[in-house]
Parts: sequence; structure tokens; C-alpha cells
Amino acid sequence: MEPKRELFKGSSNSLLLCLLEQQSMYGYQIVKELEVRSQGYFKFKEGTLYPALHRLEKSGLISSQWQLVPNGRQRRYYYITAKGQTKLAMERTQWLDFFTAVTLVLQPQKSRI
Amino acid sequence: MLPDLTQYLENIRSDARLGYSDDTGVMSELEAHIEDKLQELTEAGLTEEEAVRTCLSQMGNTRSIARQIYEAYSQGTWKQAILASMPHFLFGLLFALNWWQYPGWLSIVLVLIIATTAYGWYHGKPAWVFSWLGYSMLPVVVVGLMLLYLPRGWSLLALPIYFPLALWWLIHVIIMTTKRDWLFSSLMLLPVPIVIGWFLAISPSGKFTEDSLERIYYFAPWIGLSFMALALTISVFIRLRQRWLRVGLLAASGLATLSLIVYYATGRLNSLAFLGPVMVEWGVLLFPLLLERRFRNSRIRSLRRGNTHGTSIIPTA
Repeated sequence: MEPKRELFKGSSNSLLLCLLEQQSMYGYQIVKELEVRSQGYFKFKEGTLYPALHRLEKSGLISSQWQLVPNGRQRRYYYITAKGQTKLAMERTQWLDFFTAVTLVLQPQKSRI
Repeated sequence: MLPDLTQYLENIRSDARLGYSDDTGVMSELEAHIEDKLQELTEAGLTEEEAVRTCLSQMGNTRSIARQIYEAYSQGTWKQAILASMPHFLFGLLFALNWWQYPGWLSIVLVLIIATTAYGWYHGKPAWVFSWLGYSMLPVVVVGLMLLYLPRGWSLLALPIYFPLALWWLIHVIIMTTKRDWLFSSLMLLPVPIVIGWFLAISPSGKFTEDSLERIYYFAPWIGLSFMALALTISVFIRLRQRWLRVGLLAASGLATLSLIVYYATGRLNSLAFLGPVMVEWGVLLFPLLLERRFRNSRIRSLRRGNTHGTSIIPTA
């Protein structure tokens, strides 16, 4: 079992919702943005991004729309919905609580400072 | 698009088994991603061949992507689950309430089945339509059986025309359904071994006599129960996401229902009468699978032969 992969699987929905909260994006843009913002930490098989996006869309957390971009290509842009924003707020709180608790255990000295 | 990429996308498309409306969007999106990736890699100085190799390795395994896409789209709503189980439920109700002997009820159910099938077939063939489709074939079989009871001269005249036509239609429907997804063909044909099982139970000699009619009265609640069980199976099938669970469910439920039929008809399970319907059930599960493999191989061969013009196989959204 790869811990990094498992951790990513558990947090991928929150990461995608968080990225889309700031601006609507298409698939390739999401991959690049995630790579830049995580400083290359999050690298995954890019084809698996789309099933994850479609699952979120089926759950009503995001919506999508095809748009024609200046180079003549079609892009499917994803947007976060109100339901998605509520879910993200909830998951963000859970993650921060979890992160604080893990830090308290792993680095007790640091957390006391 | 290059042959390797076309083949890559075709593998995802055939394993993801999406309906036409979803297929177009999903495949266009993947194709757009690959185009962006290739552009980035070639601008970074890679040759076309290197760019394709790198792109495909970073995109990931086709089976894994297709499986995840399938699971994202496969689960039907509760409304669809109820709709898909409805024909089995209605058929079960006909026997459970002994309505099968009233032509009025039979006609209502028949018209409902044909109308719903036609509606679903011409509205994107959603998953729920395939259980209705199986029952819409029933009148074709019943007319064929009635032709056998015509006076000899008429029977000889009608059979050579009717049977080839009915068989052609049946095979045509199975092929069309298998092209969508072999599992839907199995779903559609699932009642066949059960109908054969009950037919053998009520007419052990293979001929429908007055005794058979009495036996229908006797077995009617159990016939109803077996179709109600089928209705439950289908609603669970529609709600499941994982393909292997769906296959397992159809196999297990078919076997359990056949065991119930043979046990109530003969009082034991170690009989030849059990073996026949079980073989039919395996045929119902395996024949569409083999048929789909055949279609898939011929599609891959034709792609290899014909895709040298650099054109895209994916329709634009």
C-alpha cells in the first residue's frame, strides 16, 4: 500500500472542490493547477481525474458546461455548486481539525510553541 | 489522431460502456486533454513518438480509467430501479393474483410492456429499458407456440415464414443490445431460463394439455414469487455501481430462482430437469459476453486497418 496514494484518494474530492471554489476550470487546467499549488507533490494518473469530476457532478457538488475557447477547441468547464460549497466548508473544518490533532501527536514540542 | 491514441481512446470507450449521450461528452473531454498534453510535451522538445508515449503513460491504464468511468455513470436512481423491476413485478402479479387467465389483464400488461419498451428504446436506451425489452419478446414466442397448434396444413404454411422472421428479429435485438453492453443482454434474457423452468414444471412432457392448466393454478403463487424475486434482483442491479457485483448478482439470483422452481416442481434438486434450465442460464450469461468479444475484436481490427488518415474517431460535443 502506498500511503501517499491512499491519502490522496481520501482527500481528492476536497482538493477538487477547493480548486473550483476559486475559479471554474477544465480538466487539464485542474491537473496543472494542482501540481503547481502542491509544488509537485500531487501527481496522479491524469485520466482518473475525469471519473472523479463526473462523480462529483453526479452528486450535485459541481456542474459543468462546454465552452468554445479562442483556439477553436471545446472545453468542459467545471463550477462548484452551492451544495459543493457547503460540503467543502464541512470537509475543510474536518481536515483542519484532523491536521491539528495529527500535528499534536507527531510533533508535540512544535505544537506547544 | 494518431493510431496509438485512437486505440487508447477506443479501449476506454468500449470498456466504459456508456450510453450515447454520456459517451460523446466523456470521450471528447479525454481527447481534448490528450491534445493539450501532446501540445505541451512537443513544445517542451519531445518528438511526436516520445510525446505520445509519455502522454499515455501519464494518462494511466485504460482499464482502470474505464472502470472508474463505468462506476461513475452506472448507478441508476431509485426511480430507474423501480421502473426496471416493474415488468417482472407486473408479470409476477399476474400469477400471484391469478389474473393470468383474464385476457383483459393480459392485454393491459402487454400494451404497457410494448409501449414502455418503445418509449425507452427511442429515448437513448437507458438501463431500465432492457428488462422491459425481454418481456416485449414474449408475444413473439407465444404466437410461435400458437402456430404449432394450428391444423397441420396451416401450420406447415405459417411456420417457415414466421419462425425465420421471429428468429431474425430476436437476434437483431440481442445484437443491438450487446453492442450497448453484454450485461444488458443477459439482463434482458434473464427470465428465459425461469420461463423454461416453469414451462417444464407445468408440462413435463413438453406439450401443453389440460393437466398443464391445472398445474398452473397449483404453481401460480410460486410462479408469481419467482418473478417478484427477479424484480428485486433487477432493482438491486440498477443501484449497484461495480460491474463484477452486477454479474455476480445476475448469476446468483438466476441460480437461486431456478433451484426454487425445480425444488417445488420435483421435490429434489439432483434431477436432469434442473440441469437444462441451469445450462440455459449459463448460456444467457455467457453468449452475450462472447458476442461482445467478437464485436470488439472486429472493431479493433477495422480500426487498425482503417485509421491511417489521421482523423479523429471521437465526435465533437
